[in-house]
Amino acid sequence: MTEPYKIIICGEGGQGALSVAEIIATAAWLQGKHAVCMPFFSTEKRGGVSMAYVQISDDRIPFPKFNKADLWVVLSQRSIERIYDYLQDGTRIVVNSYLVKDLSRIEKWKPQAIDATTIARSQFQKPRTFNMIIMGAMLRSIPDLGLKAFGQALEKVFGEKYERDPAMRDLNQKALQAGYDLIK
Amino acid sequence: MIMAEKKFIIGNEALGRAARAAGARAFYGYPITPTSEIAHFWAKEACSEAGKKDNLVFLQAEDEIGAGFMLVGGVLAGTRSFTATAGPGHILMQDAFSMAEAMRFPVVAYIMQRGGPSTSTVIYSQQEVNLAVFGGNGNGYRIVYSPATLQELYDYGIKVFNIAWKYRFPTFLLGDGYLAKMMGEVEIYAPEERGIKMEPTEAYLLEKNRTRPLAEVMPSPEIAQRIAEDGVQYDCFRNCLNLEEETLAVNMEIKAAFDAAAKDIVEFQEYGAPEAATLIVAHGIVSEAAKAAIDALGGKSARLFRPITLRPFPVEELRRAAKGAERIIVAESADNMLARFVKDALCGYISRPVEEYFRPSIGILPSEIAALVGK
Amino acid sequence: MDQAVKSAFPKCVRVDSKPHIFCPGCGHPEVLKALGFAIDDLGLQSKVAFGVDIGCSLLAWDFFNLDTIETHHGRTIPTMVGFKRANPAGVAIAYVGDGGGYAIGLSHVINAAIRNENILVIVVNNAVYAMTGGQEAPTTLQGMKVKTAPCGADQYHINAPEIIRNVNPTAFVARSITTIQFGLRKMLKDALQHQLDGKGFAFVEVLSQCPLNWKTLDKPQETFDFLEKTLAKAYPVKKY
Repeated sequence: MTEPYKIIICGEGGQGALSVAEIIATAAWLQGKHAVCMPFFSTEKRGGVSMAYVQISDDRIPFPKFNKADLWVVLSQRSIERIYDYLQDGTRIVVNSYLVKDLSRIEKWKPQAIDATTIARSQFQKPRTFNMIIMGAMLRSIPDLGLKAFGQALEKVFGEKYERDPAMRDLNQKALQAGYDLIK
Repeated sequence: MIMAEKKFIIGNEALGRAARAAGARAFYGYPITPTSEIAHFWAKEACSEAGKKDNLVFLQAEDEIGAGFMLVGGVLAGTRSFTATAGPGHILMQDAFSMAEAMRFPVVAYIMQRGGPSTSTVIYSQQEVNLAVFGGNGNGYRIVYSPATLQELYDYGIKVFNIAWKYRFPTFLLGDGYLAKMMGEVEIYAPEERGIKMEPTEAYLLEKNRTRPLAEVMPSPEIAQRIAEDGVQYDCFRNCLNLEEETLAVNMEIKAAFDAAAKDIVEFQEYGAPEAATLIVAHGIVSEAAKAAIDALGGKSARLFRPITLRPFPVEELRRAAKGAERIIVAESADNMLARFVKDALCGYISRPVEEYFRPSIGILPSEIAALVGK
Repeated sequence: MDQAVKSAFPKCVRVDSKPHIFCPGCGHPEVLKALGFAIDDLGLQSKVAFGVDIGCSLLAWDFFNLDTIETHHGRTIPTMVGFKRANPAGVAIAYVGDGGGYAIGLSHVINAAIRNENILVIVVNNAVYAMTGGQEAPTTLQGMKVKTAPCGADQYHINAPEIIRNVNPTAFVARSITTIQFGLRKMLKDALQHQLDGKGFAFVEVLSQCPLNWKTLDKPQETFDFLEKTLAKAYPVKKY
């Protein structure tokens, strides 16, 4: 049985770490893969830590949690400390360098530091889309996961928000593409 | 009617859909992480076109004490009713659950265990086993299921209603916060598509067509049936008793009914090579970690005994599984709750002490269990 | 009021509920009788789901030829709320004392009012916790000497109808008294009609006597003076 691909993402409550995780897992499932997403948070809505475990596989996934990640993503400075132990040799890293300024701890993994917040502000005038940009960048590392299934996955996770604000649909899609294009 | 369909949803949604598929009509609850999505789901269903047609009831109570007793009220009306709670809410529900235990009311609750004691985390534990089984001031005559996967949330989410109404005991699905919030594939289906017949319900109050005599489903000292002058029957129910003999009778009647039903209700699962020397005992999601550990070790060095019903506990079956085991390891995200049942069952049947791996309020990974076996 | 002329006993009361098992001089039999007549007048016997609390009201668990449920202390209101929501055709009555209504059960009563639940709540107020031996209640008046305030209770107490009216402008809210049987019957009948009309929450507090815990068993005049003069002065008998 093949090992699942393991992604861990961590940020502050309200940054959208959970949404990113859900969308990726959903997109993988829509593509016909096995997928599982397990969120973690302290208090429910704001403040406190927010993280999620995602696994994608062609085979059955044995357990929803893991201790070492293949892809490691942080959206806030203190997240580094929080999920540091999930790093192993060969783990790929994506960080939002706008908030994560001190990369000394993780230098040896050659992190992909993207100033997603600045790009979100300047290109899309909506700082909230920074997590879509991060997600686009993440895609480059995940094997066999294309952009195609993402439209549907975004719809599923953000459906209600899109009803209130239809412009978001297009914006998220563009932000996703922008993040994807940033990584070669 | 739902057609079988695969969905990618979180555990709480699987539970909401299960209740709907089971024909539940009323939800009474109070928001508490990690179960609130069940309430949200039902509230939405209740005000949808389909929900209105089905006369769904959704009521957010002032607190879990209120919700628990509203649940009793729904059951008294003969409606498949349920609630969802966790942690401190689960504690408050014990007032109602103990009344339901005494009077054998088929209340159904989805309990998704979180950290404890007290408020703790909203995340996960397996520490509410004692509450679910023994939370009242009775002798623990509730039926408690411990599902291990998202699919089982759906399957047992339906089953609890049937078991509750057939056998007439409070029936709980004891999940956890990981399962509640996990998102994955679940196949939803209508019971009839799997040959599952839903147990019919009857009201306790104002029932016009009683087919099951009350004395069959309730302890007799609690019932006073009165025939009025015009021949109409009225049923009065109490839980306050006057004499020791009365309360002994109530307890013994409940016990007898429970023990008789236990044989039909008890469920368990075994995994791994039968000749493996180390027996792991685990329930719920920890049993999945145990399975993964067993596989990672090659499938020969350890095997798993997983109780699916924590109450009634599969005592005979565990004793059989323990025969020939050189080591018995109990792994749980609690301190001695599952282990207590295990030791109780195996007392006098094993010569070596049970090994205990207690991680109260924190998850257990397959690698941890594999390491235990390796020792 | 034909029933009252024909018989001194409501049809829906079980014949062997007389003589009653309450304490001599207790007010409950008066309230239950009035309720019985109200139920008869409206022809509701086969439709009523009668809920009683743990307290002296529990002695009424098999008083009537009505389907009855005795709940846990303070939980009669949510039980009847849950029942009524699932079976709106049933007539739900919660019959409780001042402890079940105003202490342990207060949150349930007020929230049922806030949600305008379509049930009838009857609170029998004798200003003391009677069944458990005479402890202080939220309605105990200043100076009353009770088991848990032996040196005299303080001035603070609850005027519930005002609170109910505050949270619910359309509820049926009233206070009655055991000594005016016809007034009590009418009050309860109107309150039941409120539910039958689907108008929502109906609340009736009934001032009642407890000669045992008031220590006036051998002094009936004092009992009724206290009830009709002292209690009724602090707790006005009227429709709100």
